[in-house]
Amino acid sequence: MSTQLQTSGRIESGTLIEVENLSTHFSTPRGVVRAVDGVSFTLERGKALGVVGESGSGKTVLSRTIMGLQPRRGTRLGGSVRFEGKEILGLQPKQMRGVWGKEMAMIFQDPMTSLNPLMKIGRQIEEPLRNHLGMTKDDATATAKRLLQDVRIPEAERRLQQYPHELSGGMRQRVMIAIAMACGPTILFADEPTTALDVTVQAQILDLINEQRRERNMSVVLVTHDLGVVAGHTDEIAVMYGGKLVEKAPTRRLFAAMKMPYTEALMQSIPKLEEPSHTRLATIPGRPPDLVNPPVGCRFSPRCPYASDKCREEEPPLIPTADDPSHSYACWYPVGSPEYLEARARLDAQKVKVA
Amino acid sequence: MAGTGKAHLRDTDDIILRVEDLVMEFPVGRTGLKVNAVSGISFDVRRGETLGLVGESGCGKSTTGKAIMQLPRPTSGSVLFEGNELTTLEGQAMREARTRMQMIFQDPISSLNPRRKVRDIVREPLVIWKRGLPTEQLDKVDALLEEVGIDPQRAAESQPHQFSGGQCQRISIARSLVLDPSLIICDEPVSALDVSVQAQVLNLLEDLKAKHGLTLIFVAHDLAVVKNISDRVAVMYLGKMCEVAPSDVLFEAPAHHYTAVLKDSIPVPDPEIAVGKVAIEGEPPSPVLPPNGCRFHPRCPAADERCSTEEPQLREIADNHFVACHHPIVGGEAPVAVRSATSPVS
Amino acid sequence: MRYALTRIARFVFVFVIVTFLVMLATRIGSKDPIRDLAGGQVSPEVMAKVEADYPYIEKCEGALAYLPCMGKQYAAWTFDMVRGEMGYSYAQEQTVGEMFKQRGPATFWVGFWAIIIGLLIAIPVGVYSAYKRDSLFDRFMSFGSFATLSTPQLVVAVFLLYAVASRFDFFPNLWNYVAPWSSPVDHFKNFFLPSLTLGIGLGAVWSRLLRADMIMTLQSDFINLARAKGVSPNRVLWVHALRSSVLSLITSVALQLSGLVSGAVVAEQFFGVGGVGGRLVIAVQQNDILIIQAITAVVVAVVVIVNVGVDLLYAVVDPRIRQARALG
Repeated sequence: MSTQLQTSGRIESGTLIEVENLSTHFSTPRGVVRAVDGVSFTLERGKALGVVGESGSGKTVLSRTIMGLQPRRGTRLGGSVRFEGKEILGLQPKQMRGVWGKEMAMIFQDPMTSLNPLMKIGRQIEEPLRNHLGMTKDDATATAKRLLQDVRIPEAERRLQQYPHELSGGMRQRVMIAIAMACGPTILFADEPTTALDVTVQAQILDLINEQRRERNMSVVLVTHDLGVVAGHTDEIAVMYGGKLVEKAPTRRLFAAMKMPYTEALMQSIPKLEEPSHTRLATIPGRPPDLVNPPVGCRFSPRCPYASDKCREEEPPLIPTADDPSHSYACWYPVGSPEYLEARARLDAQKVKVA
Repeated sequence: MAGTGKAHLRDTDDIILRVEDLVMEFPVGRTGLKVNAVSGISFDVRRGETLGLVGESGCGKSTTGKAIMQLPRPTSGSVLFEGNELTTLEGQAMREARTRMQMIFQDPISSLNPRRKVRDIVREPLVIWKRGLPTEQLDKVDALLEEVGIDPQRAAESQPHQFSGGQCQRISIARSLVLDPSLIICDEPVSALDVSVQAQVLNLLEDLKAKHGLTLIFVAHDLAVVKNISDRVAVMYLGKMCEVAPSDVLFEAPAHHYTAVLKDSIPVPDPEIAVGKVAIEGEPPSPVLPPNGCRFHPRCPAADERCSTEEPQLREIADNHFVACHHPIVGGEAPVAVRSATSPVS
Repeated sequence: MRYALTRIARFVFVFVIVTFLVMLATRIGSKDPIRDLAGGQVSPEVMAKVEADYPYIEKCEGALAYLPCMGKQYAAWTFDMVRGEMGYSYAQEQTVGEMFKQRGPATFWVGFWAIIIGLLIAIPVGVYSAYKRDSLFDRFMSFGSFATLSTPQLVVAVFLLYAVASRFDFFPNLWNYVAPWSSPVDHFKNFFLPSLTLGIGLGAVWSRLLRADMIMTLQSDFINLARAKGVSPNRVLWVHALRSSVLSLITSVALQLSGLVSGAVVAEQFFGVGGVGGRLVIAVQQNDILIIQAITAVVVAVVVIVNVGVDLLYAVVDPRIRQARALG
């Protein structure tokens, strides 16, 4: 683990972020929502981590908590987040200001609502430049123009004088990326950056994020529900379910040898272009867990076809696989284990009987 | 592409819906300009068939779906549904015809009246049309709710907000079926849902289609979803039809350059498939001032002089495979980066 | 252009409807309009003079003839107004024009300072309450504004009069009109309490409005993005959030304008301000038809004109409204 304290940009590799046993709980009238519940992972410099999960899995709250942007009212945080070796969890906004925009940047899902509708594009990009780098108005304008060119927005000069509503969704997302890149952050959190965009534009934006990451040796946390998006654009993937990290592995390894039945089920429920039309889709029965009263034991057990009594009683820890320490999972009977195979054979036999 | 033409229309007895030269225009304020949302498209649907309409936002696919329902009435063109010309149908006849086709929308929660009980929402069309005795109505509603996987008991006591998004979509589906329609127009019905729920709803639609003998028009932007559910797929770009083909053929061997671009843009859930170069730069131009000739030509890798002046017509390039392009892709040879076709691990 | 035309048409429409209704209202209560105009019990000579000055004024009778008769009189009155002859008050022996010249400035300054005081209260309180939602400050301010809102202006005026004015020699016993440019201090002494009477209530309403809008704005994505950029909390609050939240405040300022007139009546009465509001009360008591009509006409005109100004202000604040109007 790196204990470097230098500022960004000088260090080429090593750990950038260490998250340990992080939890984010909200008080609501219904009770305490355990949106993020004991998540641990580390992220290296220059790497891209995909955080995958369905709505309510805690993936968005996780990224906002790490960045310190989660609203504080009614929120209880636990655990630790070390950024470049320094503890940043629970710091006051005043202390985080030097980090926000400068070291950590974020882009949001909906480019329609994420830019200030009443402020010219130019001013919105110049803000962090003048704030963090103390640039003069002229320098900031020149830099803003260059940033717009970097994210391949045509007629950058003219765009600076436009308002967000005058740009298309794809253009606005590019502007958001330009703003995020303004001060050369060491890490970018991208929360569903392409969900609101068309597929052709999505491909462009993902490509742009990747390109910026390589050029700037920046880490990226790509939060998404789409396994297709993370497959081609990340080094590592973390799968979240019910506020827990249930599987984490290098991207290729995860797709080649997924261990969690949930990851497998998620994968199988996606319609695939290679399959002939009318292929019956595998489904996950039931609904995501209620995070006020999460199920006892493994949170996926009520929906898992392979669950046994142990799964419903004892919570499985996140443990590394025997052959690859970078691949960990939280399951008592992972995909490929004897119990899994046995349960699967039993289910197949039932299916045949029903048919 | 971005062409017109009717070569793809079929002439069989089982055509349930035939749309010809459909045009939908909307004024831009009082400027005298207009949005050319749909500019002369034609297609037909056979009884029991599922037609997928795909394209990116602004291509006119949702407008087309609504224009079939006459919501609002199209600017011009013909919509022949079960022998009735809907564009000239008025009053009671129009209302009757509308019961034969139903629509389900993207946002299931906001398309259900939040202040009513779910069971009453599903029953409402029966009450309006005075179909059957109250007990018969309730029996029918409960049977349909069971079929879509909603507990009738709970539906009688609860309002829409007490159900999840996926459940609300099931409720919308039950409501759309209650008058025994023959055609259901699904406008992005699964794009607001999580993948696991999406699969449930897609499977449900397939089951209901078979059981109730339905015909579906499935409007969506997700190619993989459209391929999964459709028999035939029509690709739209900027208010025009590009390509029409059986689902499997279209994605196996896209002939239109835009279809190829769309296909190549889909992120594949498999890291072994190298992420190719971005299939296309830029975004579609404004439908207020669409390009001349083929509407796709300014962005097309194969465009030449002719494409900018002459609008291509839909023509048959293989059995049942129609394309509106002067220089279609033949034999899978695409001018853009082609991805290897390794199948994903699952 | 089209925008300006529709605005003018709307202005004329509202103006005609309101002033005509006011005329109807004053006449329904009048048995003998000429006598009312003359100022009650006067000699036949005076009556004759009034009749000669306003030949068009007559008592309208008969169900069928009533509206056409009133309409004719309304047309004659409008014609006079357009020529700048707003009428003469025999009771006060003063033309309406002179009356406005004499009393108008006082009312203007009371209203003006009331709005300023209202905004000075509302903006900090609204913004800070939203920022520290449900904090002690917010709860206290919420309680305070509800208390203020439920207190009639009368009570506020009485309180200020006895608790402040009578205890401090600073405030004059006898109200006097002083223009701000002739003596700012004396102007303040004379105008502060009447304006405060009105301003407190406005501040209470507006701070609630602004708080609600600010809370909505503070939850939006672009505020999150501004924070994520490392923009200082003050700048997020006062530059990013406030500007997006002022539309309803601006609307309310415009809407409150006519309410300000009735408030001005109370304030002027209590603090002896020689303003238009006080004059209106006397006119109503004496059924001084022309004065009532003229004052309403001016109030309506001011309110409508300010509303047009507010409409233009929307476009200044929000570029999207600008664009929508350009497409018109």
